[in-house]
Amino acid sequence: MQILTQLIFSGIALGMIYAVIAFGYQLTFATSDTLNFGQGNALMLGAMVGLTLVNFGLNYWLMIPLVCLFGAFQGAVVERIAVRPAIKIKSEFGWIMSTIALGIIFTNVAENVWGRDDLKFPSPLPESPLHFLGANVLPMEILVVIGALLMMLAVELFNRRSIYGKAVVATFNDRDAAKLMGINTGLVITFSYALSSMTAAFAGVLIAPLTLTGASMGAVLGLKAFAVAIIGGLTSGMGIVVGGIILGIAETTTGFYLSTGYKDVPGLVLLLIVLAIRPSGLFGKAAIKKV
Amino acid sequence: MAFRFKLLALTSALALSTAAFAADPIKIGVDGPFTGGSSSMGVSMRDGVRLATEEINKSGGVLGRQIQLVERDDEAKNERGVQIAQEFVNKEKVVAAVGYINTGVALASQRFFQDAKIPVLNNVATGSVITHQFDKDPDNYVFRNAAHDSIQAPMIVEEAITRRGYKKVAILADSTNYGQLGREDLERALKNKGITPVAVEKFNIKDVDMTAQLLKSKEAGAEAVLTYGIGPELAQIANGMTKLGWKVPIIGSWTLAMANFIDNAGPGGDGARMPQTFIQEPTTPKRKAFIDAFLAKFKPKNNRMDSPVSAAQGYDSVYLLAAAMKQAGSTDGPKVKAALEDLQAPVDGVVTTYNKPFTKTDHDAITANIPVFGEVKAGRVVFANPDDQKSAGTVRMKDVAANDALLKN
Amino acid sequence: MKTSHLLLAIAGVAALLLFPIGIDNPYYIHLLETIMIYAILLFGLDIVVGYTGQVSLGHAGLFGLGAYAAGVLVFKLSAPFWITVPFAILFTAGFGALLALPALRVSGPYLAMVTLAFGTIIQILINEMDFLTDGPMGIKLEKPMLFGHKLDDREYYWVVALLMVLALVVVHRILRSHLGRAFEALRGSPVASDCMGVSVYRYKVYAFVISAGFAGLAGCLYAYSEQYISPNSYNFELTVLFLLAVIMGGRKSRIGAMLGATIIVLLPKLLDDVVLFRYVSVALAVLVLATAVVAVRRQRATPAQMAIPVVGSIALAGLAFWLDAMTDWRLSIFGVIMLFVIYYLQDGIVGFVQKALNLRPPVATVAAADVDAASADAVSTAAPGGGGEDVLEASGVLMQFGGLKALNNVDLRIRRGTIHGLIGPNGSGKSTMMNVLTGIYVPTAGAIAFGGRSLVGRTAADIALSGIARTFQNVQLFGEMTALQNVQVGLHHSFASNLLDVAVSTPRYRRESAAAVQRGLGLLKFVGLESFATEEARNLPYGKQRLLEIARALALDPQLLLLDEPAAGLTAPDIKELLAIIRKIREHGVTVILIEHHMDVVMSMCDTVSVLDFGQKIAEGEPAKVQADEKVIEAYLGGST
Repeated sequence: MQILTQLIFSGIALGMIYAVIAFGYQLTFATSDTLNFGQGNALMLGAMVGLTLVNFGLNYWLMIPLVCLFGAFQGAVVERIAVRPAIKIKSEFGWIMSTIALGIIFTNVAENVWGRDDLKFPSPLPESPLHFLGANVLPMEILVVIGALLMMLAVELFNRRSIYGKAVVATFNDRDAAKLMGINTGLVITFSYALSSMTAAFAGVLIAPLTLTGASMGAVLGLKAFAVAIIGGLTSGMGIVVGGIILGIAETTTGFYLSTGYKDVPGLVLLLIVLAIRPSGLFGKAAIKKV
Repeated sequence: MAFRFKLLALTSALALSTAAFAADPIKIGVDGPFTGGSSSMGVSMRDGVRLATEEINKSGGVLGRQIQLVERDDEAKNERGVQIAQEFVNKEKVVAAVGYINTGVALASQRFFQDAKIPVLNNVATGSVITHQFDKDPDNYVFRNAAHDSIQAPMIVEEAITRRGYKKVAILADSTNYGQLGREDLERALKNKGITPVAVEKFNIKDVDMTAQLLKSKEAGAEAVLTYGIGPELAQIANGMTKLGWKVPIIGSWTLAMANFIDNAGPGGDGARMPQTFIQEPTTPKRKAFIDAFLAKFKPKNNRMDSPVSAAQGYDSVYLLAAAMKQAGSTDGPKVKAALEDLQAPVDGVVTTYNKPFTKTDHDAITANIPVFGEVKAGRVVFANPDDQKSAGTVRMKDVAANDALLKN
Repeated sequence: MKTSHLLLAIAGVAALLLFPIGIDNPYYIHLLETIMIYAILLFGLDIVVGYTGQVSLGHAGLFGLGAYAAGVLVFKLSAPFWITVPFAILFTAGFGALLALPALRVSGPYLAMVTLAFGTIIQILINEMDFLTDGPMGIKLEKPMLFGHKLDDREYYWVVALLMVLALVVVHRILRSHLGRAFEALRGSPVASDCMGVSVYRYKVYAFVISAGFAGLAGCLYAYSEQYISPNSYNFELTVLFLLAVIMGGRKSRIGAMLGATIIVLLPKLLDDVVLFRYVSVALAVLVLATAVVAVRRQRATPAQMAIPVVGSIALAGLAFWLDAMTDWRLSIFGVIMLFVIYYLQDGIVGFVQKALNLRPPVATVAAADVDAASADAVSTAAPGGGGEDVLEASGVLMQFGGLKALNNVDLRIRRGTIHGLIGPNGSGKSTMMNVLTGIYVPTAGAIAFGGRSLVGRTAADIALSGIARTFQNVQLFGEMTALQNVQVGLHHSFASNLLDVAVSTPRYRRESAAAVQRGLGLLKFVGLESFATEEARNLPYGKQRLLEIARALALDPQLLLLDEPAAGLTAPDIKELLAIIRKIREHGVTVILIEHHMDVVMSMCDTVSVLDFGQKIAEGEPAKVQADEKVIEAYLGGST
């Protein structure tokens, strides 16, 4: 029973990470119908930049806003280089290839700048575990859960309350109408990419102390976060949190009871099943396309 | 490094254009993982090889010809090794090859050299079966100057069971050829002592979360964890133990000395023990000269070699080859092989002095008495046993009897 | 095929076969072998990416499946070559179906991510199921035995070359056939495709499964070629390379696929060897410069357009001389090349060269004799069919979007052989009604009966095949296909030939193909477009495009033809032509529902007129009566209040 509790706690922490990254997918999809296939890279770059800053002696907590700024900048760069030109040349799925291409460039540059080895990220919180309901929980894991929830809450509030948020929602609903209303939709899309990468970078520095930081840390996370986004529904914030937790727990339990090699499989299989049965996700709303 | 290359190329070009006699370079292939999780071993090996080559070339080369290294990165991938071996044999036409860090890569690639009758000197890969892959053939072109697993595994077991007195041990091995073959060696050695491991767990390269395997080992009551893996994953084992609040000794294969284990495991890695053929300490004049030259040329961080064992063995492998070529008077494969199997003059190496290191049937230069136990302490690898450190001034030479003694014990 | 092309092809094949005799080095033979194996996979991938326009990130996984299917059979059962090859093809195709069936219900980014997930799962499964695959330690193979003789390097090379040529021929035939047209159609306009009886979903699945089969073949050959397979090789990097090959070589082109294969095999080798790379990059820069000069001279491109490629290739050469080891930056170079190709070389190298040297891609020509022989009366007389006077009966149709009732309890009875007008102000629900009748929308409630069966819940393609055809308010032609090909898509239902028939070119297929050409030309004659048969649809003037849509719809041999504002945007003479054609249609016994705003058209053509307003039917009857109806006047002009 202890073990199960342990697995559930680890699963929740893991799932929240997926949720934060998945949240980023939602943001860009909502405004531009595109996804950043290099979302994992945003996370990785955030972690790497954070590591460099911390190694220079900067305090972890002060480092976070700097990394967020970097993430926002990186997202804007992705939008400018990969997404905007692809939309302009009306290439149907050119943006898929171009975000992938930019993604592998980022990974390779990171490999050459920071080396291909995985590095250790110093943990801001004590590394000794707390005992809770018979299981061990690292303080860092609790920070991850809280941080993720706070970030998503902040963005949701922003969307609903501020005028910029309303511009985002307007662009989501009808891009052309929003344009005609004087909203600079191009800027809105850039902004959503910036926001999306920022959340990913933030997620990066949250989880870096828990795992190893390396140039390839983003790839699999990005893929699983996508699974979470689909399972939960690309239009529902709540769905993403639930989806993330489901996936996280499924992974840790499969890893223990079945075999660690298979632990990546449930998420991906779940993705295929959800797409087959209910493509809009557990919490998403099915949209009827008008012809 | 780039400069050296250009210098080497320039030198060979000059030699080509000025010499009346055919002085074309001796091409030696160097295969290892220069990127990825195994790269610290690969790069150190390559640097050791480069250092030796430079020294030999500076003093006139071999048979009046300069050595030219053809380096390729196998990324620790078996299929890359296969492709590189074919490239070495058919396109680059090397006369010999050194390298191979990963057992799987070696096993997949060696047959191309064997078929082409080109000698291969494995300088780091430790899978026991590597030098016996072609036992059935009349001639075996695969040699090795690393401490193979049929020595390391019994040493590990000796340390854990006999010296430290543990009865319940868990084995954690990775899923590659290296990990699995090493695990088999460990199980065999344990059986020799009448012990069955309480848990045998597997993990993949790039795995980050070892909780499941560690929990199972803990539940089974393991008193020590025996490992066969490489740096990054081993670090995660140490970190996982810290996270679970379960601290038992880690004793495993030589890869526990890898820089990326030590750096990533933090304090959790302290106390890990592993067999080492070479510890970065200037215990003899030859070793001091080697360490100084290496540090001066490659300037590693904190003056700490990423993988001292790989560097030393890489260095030694080139000298062994050069000696064989000098003795054979040619670079022809079968002749060099014959020379290796019957080296007349001792070769002064870093790890040991090689006195008749190979015979027709024995292609392993290192025996059980040569490696000592190293221990991770404060970010470096030091002698685990103070007696070993004291006696390190005396060079230990190959002693076949030691192998048998270890296995009988 | 033109004689010059045939001669070139023969020369090419001969050169390919003679290569290992001329260059007897196993390294180079193996290199060319790998290129051919990749080419086989790319032929298939091109169908998915180039023709149907889907992005698949899982083809490396399918490739690995093929390799392991062969490998496991050899490892466990020592199976012979002539068993492993077909098994690998079928096994991988089966997996392709398993993947495509759920994944292709959604489009675009979803498929890309799903195939990515699939590729990852395959790698994991191969890695973990070591009882079958020996996991990370991999499987060793020998070259296969054929007729009791073990193939050596050269002989195996010839086997691979032969299979590649075969694959090329089969792919070529598939893409020239009605299947190829279906693939292009579903990309050009998915809605139109469905409504012409070509189910978008089904054909996307076919395309994917076919490409999976090719990937399986390639994988199997690869296993024997490498003589060692391990799970690591079939990773994301390989899948990116495959995509790069297709878009860089040139989509919709066999030569493009082969060119792409050559590039992705040689490029990493090139990057490994810095010295060689330097020579090659300089040569490339010179080549690009030369092409740019030619293109600008012939006024195919402006200097500004050519600036970036020229500067880029020179910069690459410069980088090659500055950097020490290119291989560390391998992936970045792939990424940059990919971005470059996506933005500047959208048609790939093949397309670039064609444009720069002003070579037109071969268009399917139509013999003049064929055009003359085509019967102008190609429209089949609609069979009276079962049932009485009503060809279609809709009752109580309700179509609700959220809170909005686009159609509110509408009844509609269409009598056979009449032209039934459907009019109403904008937003009254006319097009919605069309979409409901053709299956694009599923009505929220109500019953619709046609030919004795209910239409509700059936797919658009199914409904189209049962005798309802339509045109669209916004012209939905397959722009890049010729007029004749557009009509031939409508004739898709006349083909009973399957994949095998097409691949082998059986007599049945050839008959059907010829018949489709004849019939298609006849239909074009019917609307007066026979002289435009080989013109791309998007190049036709607007009026002619509308007529083409009608011809295409008639190809379905419909009993009921729905025309959605066919006169919109037409000039007076065009409208006259249109009316004549509609009358001819009625003479053939086909029932017509006509949505129109041009009152003169409605009045002169229709037997009955139904009027919709705010989703409800407010009037129905003869045109003159309806025109005078007060409610109708109020709906169009507004009330007096």
